[in-house]
Amino acid sequence: MFVARSIAADHKDLIHDVSFDFHGRRMATCSSDQSVKVWDKSESGEWHCTASWKTHSGSVWRVTWAHPEFGQVLASCSFDRTAAVWEEIVGESNDKLRGQSHWVKRTTLVDSRTSVTDVKFAPKHMGLMLATCSADGIVRIYEAPDVMNLSQWSLQHEISCKLSCSCISWNPSSSRAHAPMIAVGSDDSSPNAMAKVQIFEYNENTRKYAKAETLLTVTDPVHDIAFAPNLGRSFHILAIATKDVRIFTLKPVRKELTSSGGPTKFEIHIVAQFDNHNSQVWRVSWNITGTVLASSGDDGCVRLWKANYMDNWKCTGILKGNGSPVNGSSQQGNSNPSVGSNIPSLQNSLNGSSAGRNGKRAPFPLPQRRLTSPKIHQQPAYY
Amino acid sequence: MEKMSRVTTALGGSVLTGRTMHCHLDAPANAISVCRDAAQVVVAGRSIFKIYAIEEEQFVEKLNLRVGRKPSLNLSCADVVWHQMDENLLATAATNGVVVTWNLGRPSRNKQDQLFTEHKRTVNKVCFHPTEAHVLLSGSQDGFMKCFDLRRKDSVSTFSGQSESVRDVQFSIRDYFTFASTFENGNVQLWDIRRPDRCERMFTAHNGPVFCCDWHPEDRGWLATGGRDKMVKVWDMATHRAKEVHCVQTIASVARVKWRPECRHHLATCSMMVDHNVYVWDVRRPFVPAAMFEEHRDVTTGIAWRHPHDPSFLLSGSKDSTLYQHLFRDASQPVERANPEGLCYGLFGDLAFAAKESLVATESGRKPYAGDRRHPIFFKRKLDPAEPFAGLASSALNVFEIEPGSGSMSWFVDTAERYALAGRPLAELCDHNAKVARELGRNQVAQTWTMLRIIYCSPGLVPTTNLNHSMGKGSSCGLPLMNSFNLKDMAPGLGSETRLDRSKGDTRSDTVLLDSSATLITNEDNEETEGSDVPTDYLLGDVEGEDDELYLLDPEHAHSEEPEYVLPQEAFPLRHEIVDTPPGPEHLQDKADSPHVSGSEADAASLVPVDSSFSLISVSHALCDSRLPPDFFSALVCDMLRFYAEQGDVQMAVSVLIVLGERVRKDIDEQTQEHWYTSYIDLLQRFCLWNVSNQVVKLSTSRAISCLNQASTTLHVNCSHCKRPMSSRGWVCDRCRRCASMCAVCHHVVKGLFVWCQGCSHGGHLQHIMKWLEGSSHCPAGCGHLCEYS
Repeated sequence: MFVARSIAADHKDLIHDVSFDFHGRRMATCSSDQSVKVWDKSESGEWHCTASWKTHSGSVWRVTWAHPEFGQVLASCSFDRTAAVWEEIVGESNDKLRGQSHWVKRTTLVDSRTSVTDVKFAPKHMGLMLATCSADGIVRIYEAPDVMNLSQWSLQHEISCKLSCSCISWNPSSSRAHAPMIAVGSDDSSPNAMAKVQIFEYNENTRKYAKAETLLTVTDPVHDIAFAPNLGRSFHILAIATKDVRIFTLKPVRKELTSSGGPTKFEIHIVAQFDNHNSQVWRVSWNITGTVLASSGDDGCVRLWKANYMDNWKCTGILKGNGSPVNGSSQQGNSNPSVGSNIPSLQNSLNGSSAGRNGKRAPFPLPQRRLTSPKIHQQPAYY
Repeated sequence: MEKMSRVTTALGGSVLTGRTMHCHLDAPANAISVCRDAAQVVVAGRSIFKIYAIEEEQFVEKLNLRVGRKPSLNLSCADVVWHQMDENLLATAATNGVVVTWNLGRPSRNKQDQLFTEHKRTVNKVCFHPTEAHVLLSGSQDGFMKCFDLRRKDSVSTFSGQSESVRDVQFSIRDYFTFASTFENGNVQLWDIRRPDRCERMFTAHNGPVFCCDWHPEDRGWLATGGRDKMVKVWDMATHRAKEVHCVQTIASVARVKWRPECRHHLATCSMMVDHNVYVWDVRRPFVPAAMFEEHRDVTTGIAWRHPHDPSFLLSGSKDSTLYQHLFRDASQPVERANPEGLCYGLFGDLAFAAKESLVATESGRKPYAGDRRHPIFFKRKLDPAEPFAGLASSALNVFEIEPGSGSMSWFVDTAERYALAGRPLAELCDHNAKVARELGRNQVAQTWTMLRIIYCSPGLVPTTNLNHSMGKGSSCGLPLMNSFNLKDMAPGLGSETRLDRSKGDTRSDTVLLDSSATLITNEDNEETEGSDVPTDYLLGDVEGEDDELYLLDPEHAHSEEPEYVLPQEAFPLRHEIVDTPPGPEHLQDKADSPHVSGSEADAASLVPVDSSFSLISVSHALCDSRLPPDFFSALVCDMLRFYAEQGDVQMAVSVLIVLGERVRKDIDEQTQEHWYTSYIDLLQRFCLWNVSNQVVKLSTSRAISCLNQASTTLHVNCSHCKRPMSSRGWVCDRCRRCASMCAVCHHVVKGLFVWCQGCSHGGHLQHIMKWLEGSSHCPAGCGHLCEYS
């Protein structure tokens, strides 16, 4: 069950990205009004804007937090062809700025000749690294060799994708068995049916990123891409927002079997594809364990997807963007507390063979029915 | 309208037609200007001065005005303007300060008409009066503006801006005598052409040079200015003081600005450097360009709308030596590609969602709160730039907060905090953790812990209370193992009628489980269950099966079947229905779903309920009595751990790994273990569970992990006696040879949490010091210091 808490963001144009920090207690928003706002959660759970500043001279497409080990650091990227790194300064508050924190620009990355469409910090174990992608189809990877000095970033890699890039995602796996990997999506809308998702992998021997895979089946413009948190899995899960929601698994084929030195081979399976948004899907985001995917589309709804033990993905909830209830949306609305959220949920496991096996028990009311009970979405709205 | 008709006549009755097209010039262009018939364009540059005819499909070079054997500096043009009343009249501004007029009506090849050499430095801009045929205005780098009457040989009047170089001069379209000029120091001046002594009005418009200005074609008072500060500002000059009505922030310094015909709020801009694109902005949406032309490969230097009443054709010249005609409908629209939504999953399962208001506009009658700016008029997603503005775009930001217990991550935190990982016998750890899991409603995990306990500990140690506990709950959950326990306990009483009835019921439920377990065994290793109708074989298979259930069956039992088992428990009569239902066909059908299993095998399994119940009993006995070596299970336990990890529950994998320690560690490769550890530690740190994360690091056996705690933390400690820095890492101070970390209260060495006052460096056990400070604020060591603890 969700409670919608509406926040008067007061951005003067569209908000393009929302991002929680590592601990989930801070939130950053960015907008076409060229500003970034930072929100802090109070004890009572309300979100307060503690900083708002002009970051770029164009629409700010994305904002992202660095691992807190590196400080309170944000990166933003913009239509103005730059990406910037920001750090919060503490201890310099004066009366005028009481309750407001102060963010200073540490660097501007100006290598792109076109709009920078996404920026993402690399997983922490790789050090302080940053990847950007731009509309001219180049992914750039920067590194701050000295983590204490956020103003020095060196351009380490330039990967040409040949297609206008719209989104990137680092593979978050911390395993030594998984080489650093980055997935790039393109929103190129030209009619040629080229694959819009490419995956690049770092090769220890050549010290370069090389293309490992291309998802040939994705030929429509891709708006967002997200690797699921890995959490010790041996394989990777990749969600893609295109004209529908797609979920792929990438199982690395054991290294011994492939020729050494080359890029890792993957067994790629599409495990889910949903067009329930009936429109362009703009965003995908994973929960912390990589078990639930949230997607949002032009229908203004957030849909939650979850797999059962059979790897059968199902919709487990619909949230309307304005907080109003959607019929049939069910957030594990069952009263049974024994359903942990990390494990396949009740309604999911009712399909497939398990449902068939229990078919003879039809006289008993199926738990599914309970889900349509009217008490599902009460909406206390806080403003 | 009058003009329009004339144009139509001039065009021979046809409307403007054309497409996006371009032609190569011989040299970079500095400026372009369109003839009033909208069929010709003049391109001027340092070494080019040509007239092109704009045809339907292409540009055709019509006339080269750059004639003469040796090129004169007079021909190096900074600006060009075509008279809007006389098709034959052009003026250029030369870089050497000369203003030249050209008469296309001259019969000779050289069309040069008049030469005004009055400015001392480059002339930046020339401008014809919109309605007066003979009046020409120039603005120069030397800071002066001059007004020429083309019927005379020299200037009529000189205007001194008194503030650096003039970048642009523009006659007002509506006010006959007024013109505006912009300066490098950021000023804009308004002049009356009859009064050269001083300007009518002056104000600072930009920070840094103002490169350009343009009067609104319809709105009398509106003047747009663009500057190096990357801004375009729209001023309302009709009021007493110039008032900024709009401000557009572009991404580079603004070199040219031109209002779009017939679109009240649109203007086109191009930049002086860095940015090669031409943008069209709606000034009411100042952050996102309405349209963008990306064709040029170098800086765009001149832009002009082809016809004063046609909003769809834009001409542009560039340093890349091309001349383009852009069609508005071919423009790329950044708004279209802009992502209207933002979505992020929070740590505890809450979701932040920002969406364009039109996408989430309420149909239902939700009460808008005060100041809600949601209006249904935003419905249109595509903002056609040619259309009237639909309204400012804005987003609604919502955080969907998950309620505790319904899929929030609180279970993770609770589990992490309450699990016992070390310090007690394995059996106790398992029992404790099973209890924790059960209390948190995670039966599958609880079950696993119980299993582990059974596998690795001798049965005699099972506390009966705990077993009973697990029985009571377990059987209500219908988990397979618990049922088998039930059976085991009941085995002695099998002879009695009632017990038998009861056990039959249980057997029934077991049958279902068993056959599914058999199914999955078959999935796992086919050899094992082949010919599974033989009881002895089955026994062995079943031992496996119990474990298999753990990692293959439990998810489904815990969830799908669980509620159904709750019911039978209370309503025994119903069981007969179940018994009566022939299980065969359905089973077959459903087995057919899973490709690995042959129907007959599964069927065989399900058709021998009594056998299997007995076999179960014997299995339980086997488990408890015949002492299968724990190694026997380790492969399965490893598989189970992997299963949990793949399911995203790395917590379970790591916890079991730690609790079992050596028993399973050797069977899982180091790299995987390390991966699990790092993932779990990262997760713990996200939830700020520092103590747990530390414990995990400490208990981990992987070297890469345990060194995490030793990296990048330095403590500088002074000895509490001699107050000198402790150099060695031991307990004893080098200098005074005394143990440094004595509790000031109890005078024992402190192991574990040591708190000390940073003022006097005395301290001790946390509890002792806390207790002491309740009574006194002085240092317990008697040094007289008023201790402070934060």
